[in-house]
Amino acid sequence: MKLASLGFVCAALAAGATRSGAQGLVPAGGLSIVSTRVRGTDQLTGTVLGGQGTVALGRLELAIGYVQGKIGPEGASGAGQDLVEGVALLGVRPASWLRLAVGPHARSYTLTGGTPLRWVFWELRARASSAFVGSAGRGYVELWRALSASVNAPEPFDHAQGGEAGMVVHLARAPLELRLGYRIDHAVLGGGSRLETVDAVVIGVGLSGR
Amino acid sequence: MTRHIPWIALLVCGWSAAAAQGAAQAITSPFAQGIRAYQNLDFDQAAALLRRDLARASSSTATLGERAQGLLYLGAADLFRGRRDSAVAVFRRLVQLDPRYRPDRLVFPPEVTSVFDNVRVETRAVVLVAPADTEISTGTGAFTFWVVASAFQTVEVTLRYQDGAPFRALYAGPMGDSLRVQWDGLDAAGQMTPVSRVLLRVASRAPTGELAGIVQLPLDLRIVHIDTLPWPKPPADSQFLPERAGSRPALRALLGGVLLAGTVTVLPSVVGSDHPNGSRLVVAGAVGFAGALGYVLHRPGRPLTANIAANQAVRARWQQSAAAVKAENVQRRDDVHLAVHAGEPTAIKPSAR
Repeated sequence: MKLASLGFVCAALAAGATRSGAQGLVPAGGLSIVSTRVRGTDQLTGTVLGGQGTVALGRLELAIGYVQGKIGPEGASGAGQDLVEGVALLGVRPASWLRLAVGPHARSYTLTGGTPLRWVFWELRARASSAFVGSAGRGYVELWRALSASVNAPEPFDHAQGGEAGMVVHLARAPLELRLGYRIDHAVLGGGSRLETVDAVVIGVGLSGR
Repeated sequence: MTRHIPWIALLVCGWSAAAAQGAAQAITSPFAQGIRAYQNLDFDQAAALLRRDLARASSSTATLGERAQGLLYLGAADLFRGRRDSAVAVFRRLVQLDPRYRPDRLVFPPEVTSVFDNVRVETRAVVLVAPADTEISTGTGAFTFWVVASAFQTVEVTLRYQDGAPFRALYAGPMGDSLRVQWDGLDAAGQMTPVSRVLLRVASRAPTGELAGIVQLPLDLRIVHIDTLPWPKPPADSQFLPERAGSRPALRALLGGVLLAGTVTVLPSVVGSDHPNGSRLVVAGAVGFAGALGYVLHRPGRPLTANIAANQAVRARWQQSAAAVKAENVQRRDDVHLAVHAGEPTAIKPSAR
C-alpha cells in the first residue's frame, strides 16, 4: 500500500515535470548550525553542522541535505557520539507557494550504551511558503509523514511524522539569505511503547538564485 | 517666279525631312487636310482649308498647340501665295494666342520664320502661367506665377477688385521673355482682406507708352484656418501609483508573524510529541519580532518615495506635451492660409483709335 502511494507520488512528480517550462537550472545552497536534541530511550543534545542544496528546473526541484556532528547526554561534558543525517527529496511545485516532495531520509546516532540506532524513512512532504514582511521576509511551514521506514530497533515501526517552521530573510541587492527555523521528527515504535523525538533549531545562511 | 524656285526647292527638302514625323501628326490634327495641301505645295487649297478649319476650331475641339500649328501653316501658305499682309495678320494672331510659340526651323524656310520673327517682335503679347490651385501661408508664403512675353516690353502686373479698383500692385517695368512674380496674399496695406475674388491683370505697353494689350486672370480666394490640436488628456487615475502605503502589507506582516510564531510554538503538538523543546520559543519570538518589525516598516500611510517620483514623472510628461500643444496652437492660430484658384484668362484688346 505504501509502495503504491509512493508510485502515485512519483507519477504526480513526473506529470509536474512535463509541465515545467523551458527555464534553466536554478541552484541554491547553504550552510546551517543545527542545535539538536534527541528524546527517546536516551536524552542527547549537541550542536552539529549541516549543508543543504536545491536545484530547480521549472516546477521540478531536487533537494538534498546533510548533517553531521557530535551529540551527547544532556548536561554531560565530553566529545559525545556521532550524529549523521541525510535526506534527498524530489519535489514539484503545483503552485508558487506549495512544494510536494518525496524521498528517503536516513538518520544514525549512537545511544549512550554504545548501540547505534539507524533510521531510514521514505517521506512525503508538503511545504508552504509565502512572503509576509514585504518581499524580503518569507515564512515557511513544512509537514511530513513517513510512508515506510526501517529501523534497527527491536520494536516494530509504527509511524513517524514531523514538521518544520521558520522564516527566510533575503538581503536586498544580494543573493544572500538568512534562515531561522525549528523542526521536529517524532517516531512511534511498538504501538507506542517506544517514542523517539528529534527536534532542532536551525540557523543558516545561504545563496539563492531566486 | 524664278526667284521663288530656290525657296520652293528648300521647302521641298524641308518637307521631305519632316515628312516622317509630320505625317503621323497630320493624321490626328484637326487641320490635317490643310497641312497636307500645304505639303503638296497647293497653297491656295491649303489656305482655304486651314482658314475654314480655324474658323470652326474652338478650345474644346483643338488644343492650343494645334491651333497655333494651324495658324502657322496658314500664315506660311498666305506668304507663298504672295499675300504678305494676310500672312502678317495671321502670325500676329498666332503670337497673341501663344507668345511662347516658335516655328520649327527644320520644317519652315527662313522666309517664313523671318517674317514670323518680325511680327513677334512688333506684337506685344503676354500670357499668364499660374497653377490652377495653390494654398499659401499669408505673409510668409507666396502665390507664384509667370508672365511670358512675345518680346521685350513694359508691363504692369496688378491685382484688382472685381470692379477694377486697384488691390495690390505687384510689378511695373520692363521684361524680356518671361517674368516670375510672387504675391504674398496680402493687400497694399499688408493686411488680409476678406475678398473672395481678385483679378490678376497684366497690361502690356509699347515703347511709346501706348497700351498694347491686357491679359486678365480671375483668382478665387478662400481663407483657410488650420485646426488647432486638442489638448492632451490628463493621465488617468490608473496611471498613478499609490503615494501612501496601504494597510495590507502591514497587516500581512503582523498577522503572518503571529501565525508563523504560533505554528512554531504548537508544532510539537501537531506531530504528536509530548516533549516540546523550549528553544522553539526563541524561534517563535524571533519570527514574531520580524512580523512586528515588518508592521512598523510597512505602517499604513507611510510615504512611498519611489511611487511619488514615478507619479511626478507622469505629471511632468503630461505638462510637457500640453505645453507643446499650446505652442503649436498659438502658431497655428497665427498661421492663416489662403487657397487660390486660378480661372480662365481673358485678353482685352485696346480699342482702335
